[in-house]
Amino acid sequence: MRYGFFPGCTLESAAKELMISTKKVAAALGIELVELEGWTCCGASHIQDVDDFLATSINARNIALAEQLDAPLLTVCNTCTLMLRTAKQKLDRNEQLKKRVNQGLAEAGVEYRGTVEITHFLWVLVKDYGLDRLKEKVKRPLEGLKVANFYGCHILRPPQIMGFENPLNPQSMERVAEALGAECVDFDQRLACCGFHAVFPAEKEVMKLTGINCLSSKDAGADCLVTPCPLCQMQLDMYQPDAQRGFDQDITVPILHLPQLVGLALGFEPAELGIGRHIVDAIPLLRKKLVTA
Amino acid sequence: MDTVTLRIKRYDGVKEWYQEYQLPYEKGKTLLYSLTKIREELDPTLTFSAACRHAICGSCAVRVNGNAFLACKTSLDQLLETFETERLTLEPLNNFPVIRDLVVDWEPKLERMKAVRPWLIPSEDGDPSEGFRQSPEDFRKIASPTDCILCGICSSECGQLSLNQEGYLDPFILNKAYRFAVDSRDAAPEEHIRPALEKGLWKCLHCMECVTKCPKEIDLAGENAYLRQASIQMGERDNKGARHAYAFVEDVKSKGRLNEVTLPMKTEGFVSTMNRIPFALRLIRKGKINPLHMPREVEGIEGVRKIYEHAQGVKEP
Ligand code: FES
Repeated sequence: MRYGFFPGCTLESAAKELMISTKKVAAALGIELVELEGWTCCGASHIQDVDDFLATSINARNIALAEQLDAPLLTVCNTCTLMLRTAKQKLDRNEQLKKRVNQGLAEAGVEYRGTVEITHFLWVLVKDYGLDRLKEKVKRPLEGLKVANFYGCHILRPPQIMGFENPLNPQSMERVAEALGAECVDFDQRLACCGFHAVFPAEKEVMKLTGINCLSSKDAGADCLVTPCPLCQMQLDMYQPDAQRGFDQDITVPILHLPQLVGLALGFEPAELGIGRHIVDAIPLLRKKLVTA
Repeated sequence: MDTVTLRIKRYDGVKEWYQEYQLPYEKGKTLLYSLTKIREELDPTLTFSAACRHAICGSCAVRVNGNAFLACKTSLDQLLETFETERLTLEPLNNFPVIRDLVVDWEPKLERMKAVRPWLIPSEDGDPSEGFRQSPEDFRKIASPTDCILCGICSSECGQLSLNQEGYLDPFILNKAYRFAVDSRDAAPEEHIRPALEKGLWKCLHCMECVTKCPKEIDLAGENAYLRQASIQMGERDNKGARHAYAFVEDVKSKGRLNEVTLPMKTEGFVSTMNRIPFALRLIRKGKINPLHMPREVEGIEGVRKIYEHAQGVKEP
């Protein structure tokens, strides 16, 4: 199993722990990740607000880099996945657009052909790798750990572009968590938005949403919240102390990246997965809940 | 499965309660069929609205297990399958005042809609007696937005509106602004766009609920992006949303990747950024940001810049 790895900007700085944990987990599972050389930011759902054609063009270039490797493109970020898949869908459905985009790409010495798929780590686990195989790799079942699976918008919506599972009642996160031995809790905000993309222009609303999201998982009895998206993770973790100011109740809940949850079950120690880098400390909880952690 | 249970939120103008109705399961029926059956056979006081039964009048939208649907267009079987249950919870649309049971009040929404001047401001290229010609290509631009049936599903599901009823416009209202702004017969796109901008255009959370749930599959998120682009072209660049978007455009051009350290400064300016010092210190302590880190140029950055140059030449709204 070999993929063209598109880390996305956050993995280089604020979510470096996701780079660390993704690489360790992939290696332990025998998934080969080849980082695309010269990848650029996907536009993070913003560049199309200035120039749609430019947004499509830069992602055509990113996808072309994976085509050069002749490997599916894998991301660990919901928004990167949506941005890349949006560009791909536009290009594959519109010959004229593809031609015009490729004129620009030609000057950069690359060509978009439309030959590779764009996928996300979560989908790879469920579909390409398989949960039975994943189960066999579990060294430390996460028994007794109650997780709230927070999908994040862009891995589900819009389904016309994402299309992996029913956005109204997805199950992939629960199936992975259960394969790892964890217990899933159902909570109101399971499919909610984290608000990250509007945290500057709509700070007040987004802080409120952050508090609601955290509280919802806590009220359902979760020990921690897990997400397949670094932007959701950042919003819910980094801004949690700010969001707390708007709430009387304690909203504190640790927020893990999906590959970190997988890594814990594969037997890695929290520190090895960069869990110590989170703003809300998850380590005391994991020490209490996990054998030998 | 012999029976289906519909648990319906009731409201009589004073109090609210949930009431359960059991119906014999029948294959191949719509949600509206079930509601009608309850009213005809079990409880004549149950109030809901519907008229055309063909996804045209837009009056039958309700929420099922937290998600809005057109009752006449939605298969009961599909709902039972999606939610893996024999019991569904029905509620009126979110973000609307409720009149009774499942019926919501459209009056205030239509009043709000006037803000974007949802009518044609005619250009000089025609007159009412001669009519206004439009090429097929120009017509195609308004074909999808005019599919809107004002069902209110987008309002119900909108992430921003759910947090902020006053400071943001309903997606169907933004659709109206778009619909007239791109109409070749309209002489004053700005008059539709500016009110949208003033009512929080950049506050959209990008949650994609509207595009996901719209029964007419209107690309509401794409339209929103168009309105923002158009507002920038009108010269409205000095706001947090536009500055934030430009920060991405500029960083990709200069280095290929985002510089998270300079992003808040570019978006908010110096003063607001200073208010974020406690936040920044918290991140620095955990190694989440390194203020001294300068991203290097990515391999092939000259090519990226050439792609930018090419895109400049292709400007097409
Ligand atoms: S009854 Fe007219 S849209 Fe459903």
